Amino acid sequence: MTRRSISRRSALAGGVASGLAAIGGCLSEGGILNGSGGSDGPMIGVLEDRSGEFALNGTAKWQASLLAVEELNADGGVLGEELDVYDPDPQSDNQRYQELTREALNREGVDALWAGYSSATREAIRPIVNEEEQLYFYTTQYEGGVCDRTTFAMGATARQQLGAVIPYMIEEYGPRIYTIAADYNFGQISGDWVRLLADEHDAEVVGEEFILLGETDFGSTINAIQGEDPDFIASMLVGNGHANFYEQRADNELDVPMASSTTMAQGYEHRRLDPPALEDMYVGVNYMEELETDRNAAFVDAFYEQFPDADYLNQEAQNNYFSIHMWAEAVEAAGTFDQETVIAELEDGIEVEAPEGDVELDPETHHMTHHMRIGRADGEHEVTFSDEQYIEPSFLHEVGCNLPDDPEQTQYEPDEFYDEI
Amino acid sequence: MEGVRMSSEPNSSLLERVRSPFEGPNTLGNSNGFWLTFGVGVVSLALYPVLFGTYAAGERAVFLVYALLGVSLCFVWGFCGILSFGQVAFFGVSGYTFGIVGLNVSSYTGVTLGIVAGIAVATLFAAALGYFMFYGGVRDVYVTIITLVVALVLKTFMDQTAGGEWAIGEAELGGFNGMRNIPNLAIGVGDVGIDVSRAMHYYVALAALIAVYLGLRVLVNGRFGYAMVATREDETRTEMFGYNTTLIKFVTFTLGGALAGLSGVLYVTWGNYIDPQQFAITAASMPVIWASIGGRDSIAGTMAAAIVLQWIELQLTGEWALVIVGSLLVFVILAMPEGIAPRLRTFVLDRQSSSEPATAPATTEEVTD
Amino acid sequence: MNGYELLNVTFQFLESFAFIVLATVGLAVIFGMMGIINLAHGEFILVGAYATTLSAHQGLPLPVAMLVGVVATTIFGIVLERTIIRRLYGRLLDSMVATFGISLVLVQLTRILFGNSIDQVSTPFGAISYGSYSYSLYRVLLAGAAIATLLVLYILFTRTAFGIRARATIQDEETARSMGVDTDRMYMSTFAIGSALAGLTGALYAPARASPTPEFGSEFLVDAFVAVVVGGPSVLVGTPLAGGFLGLIEAFFTFQWTQFIGTVAMLVAAIVMIRLLPDGFSGLVESVRTSWRESE
Repeated sequence: MTRRSISRRSALAGGVASGLAAIGGCLSEGGILNGSGGSDGPMIGVLEDRSGEFALNGTAKWQASLLAVEELNADGGVLGEELDVYDPDPQSDNQRYQELTREALNREGVDALWAGYSSATREAIRPIVNEEEQLYFYTTQYEGGVCDRTTFAMGATARQQLGAVIPYMIEEYGPRIYTIAADYNFGQISGDWVRLLADEHDAEVVGEEFILLGETDFGSTINAIQGEDPDFIASMLVGNGHANFYEQRADNELDVPMASSTTMAQGYEHRRLDPPALEDMYVGVNYMEELETDRNAAFVDAFYEQFPDADYLNQEAQNNYFSIHMWAEAVEAAGTFDQETVIAELEDGIEVEAPEGDVELDPETHHMTHHMRIGRADGEHEVTFSDEQYIEPSFLHEVGCNLPDDPEQTQYEPDEFYDEI
Repeated sequence: MEGVRMSSEPNSSLLERVRSPFEGPNTLGNSNGFWLTFGVGVVSLALYPVLFGTYAAGERAVFLVYALLGVSLCFVWGFCGILSFGQVAFFGVSGYTFGIVGLNVSSYTGVTLGIVAGIAVATLFAAALGYFMFYGGVRDVYVTIITLVVALVLKTFMDQTAGGEWAIGEAELGGFNGMRNIPNLAIGVGDVGIDVSRAMHYYVALAALIAVYLGLRVLVNGRFGYAMVATREDETRTEMFGYNTTLIKFVTFTLGGALAGLSGVLYVTWGNYIDPQQFAITAASMPVIWASIGGRDSIAGTMAAAIVLQWIELQLTGEWALVIVGSLLVFVILAMPEGIAPRLRTFVLDRQSSSEPATAPATTEEVTD
Repeated sequence: MNGYELLNVTFQFLESFAFIVLATVGLAVIFGMMGIINLAHGEFILVGAYATTLSAHQGLPLPVAMLVGVVATTIFGIVLERTIIRRLYGRLLDSMVATFGISLVLVQLTRILFGNSIDQVSTPFGAISYGSYSYSLYRVLLAGAAIATLLVLYILFTRTAFGIRARATIQDEETARSMGVDTDRMYMSTFAIGSALAGLTGALYAPARASPTPEFGSEFLVDAFVAVVVGGPSVLVGTPLAGGFLGLIEAFFTFQWTQFIGTVAMLVAAIVMIRLLPDGFSGLVESVRTSWRESE
């Protein structure tokens, strides 16, 4: 890690170094012309994609963040000050994310940062976030395992989502599982979780295929599934290219039910694809726009009142929304915007009224305990929910992540801890 | 390499003698005004960290790194007529190699080795690909497509390298998520060495850019440069004059790969991270765009275009950003077919000839190389 | 491999073949005949797909909506040719930068106008079942559409007066003009045909893809460029051979291993082919034909 290497190599060597140090002496962090930069009042950074590949997921995240800030400001601001937002469009480009993150941290001096949809983006900016010890909220549902003292993962993890839906499907349809997942970290770790959960519930993964991101042709995958004839498919496909699987599944009249952690709640495939592409899709989610509670109805109304042209209010958008409110509560309780103090306040434990229900922050792991439900799409793509459970981020507890006592910056993976994989 | 001194006269001043290896008909800017503008440009870039601070400089260093990548293409395309879409392939391969070495060999030795290894692997890769193409008789647009496909193969391959089975020692290739925790730039042995980050990284990138620029000027105005340009203009005739054009293209392409490799090392040490997007078609198009906009036979023009275009892209943050960038590209290509730098030069020369040559103010002279 | 599995591979091959040929034809006409590297090719396909999908949402029957898609893309192509492209003839590399710019503009304008995605039109025809397997009939029929498109092109360029004038213009503009051919108009028509073909691809794939997004066209770009080069200068001979060869490689390797291996195998095969046959398949056919004639 950058920080470690700097401290380890703190001593500069010899005469060259003193010359360099002399040059360094003339340089300041802010520069002559730049002044202090940034706004005077409190400011948060919201870097979410509104163009490029991930705009489909990112746009609602950005919109819901603005809604939360608007509500806070209408309510007198945070600590009595109006909250500002730094929100340029990163255009789904990781290098642009790196530039904008540096801009947000160094020039704008944001008090907290919300940034990124894909886990590649998170990894691209985490060196910068770590170097500056920036309070950072990552809100996408993800593979899990990030144990990092300044990062707070607001989304449900693969363990939370699959832990809800896979046992339900085994019970409902039978023990033979066929896994198809995106071929990168998220998909592979999710595949590992399916194996582990299958093992716990006396079920069996009869086939497993990892598919390149962006692949659009699923003829051979569907034939392979038909050859195996599983009881259900565990689908951890990602992105719009992969949505073609559901479309081709319907074309090919493959009527095996599907369990998923990635579909519908993020990219609203049930709205965009023609029925019955997602018939019998069961997805483990902490939130979907369709949730029928009074609190959610109010949230959805406020959202569409603010953004009448919005496409869908997705799971990540809700996570951005409640976590901005949660951060504001922590700031109020701490009485300061100072990031270390706010992190300490969050680590004291905090509960927030989210649209999905009241949720708690787990202080040791910086993850959320979520209300997980199973959303099912029928032949007309109507979504119904069942089997609500309150699931905590158990994997990081098992591996011993305890950030208040042991501040680390790692990502744990399940295959390092379980023999069954 | 021996420079061909076209401009040196018997009674030339010391300044002219110093300048002469850098000048010749193969580079556009050879006048006092050009060198003055160049000097002003270098000084303002050097003052940037002082004026805007080390944070801003650390952030902007990537512009210089990409300018260097643009230069690597300008060299092979503008001077030898080889349009390569594969500069990002050498750039990325070098970046990944640096990461693998740097993560496995700790201490300064590892980082220093990484720099050498990154550039060496990129150079060898370019040499292998160049050998495969030029000695196999592949030419023109087919070179362009092969290099593009090579970049895409690398993208497809690297995208699926997630998981422990794709770790090389301590370094996980990381697939789509990219390679993380790549060390900062440094140089030294064991525990003794110098760290290069933020403003220092900026200065290293700037120094590399200027050194490469001046070095290439010497090269293209020397004998090899004449052979390169002759190959670009008419390969068959150059061959008839007894030049081995295949070898010339092979050497040029390999050198271009080495330069792209150098920029790749500077890139990964800037962000401590690299992912397969660097091989994607959009990334592969960027050097071509910088060189086209700046003027593909103008090294300084390409550098300026790379820096200015990236700066514009970062300033544009709204939903119309990409529309504006795209329209700008179309506009420049239609209005200035050879690129901005050659057009500027023509413009300045026209003005000079229409007005009194002696009174033409130096500051309005061309900014091209 | 049993009989059913053979059918699987056959269908997978037909689907790959159709995709490669349809992704390529429009580009092949514009590149092979006019020397314009159209990096906005994918966005021409996007125009066709959006026009088809949006008019189907207005209640038009699918075949009519597809026709709207083709016509819309053709008009779009003509407008672009008159305003921008015609200034780029003979400037192969400049055309690449300009069309890259056009592609950026089109993708983002599509997003601003129609949002991050539009709803999908359903795929017609259902599936063929055999044993425990099934395959989408529409996808298999796309191979027929690809062959039909090539046949129509063949007739157009070899059997009509227009085709002869167009080919004359491309081979030798000066002579063609001195013979009284309106070459400016020939270029425009050829570009219009290339646009229409891209529009057709968009129209045909609009119902066979998950809901169209502004990135719809980028899925076609790689296959198109690879196949154009492997095919070589003659569109009519090169495109089907390249589609057949690359489709076969992709289907076989995908069936035997995985889709990833299939993709990589196809790209590597393309590199090797370009190295071995710098003039592509049509160059090979040409030289075989020449030596055959000589031996007679």
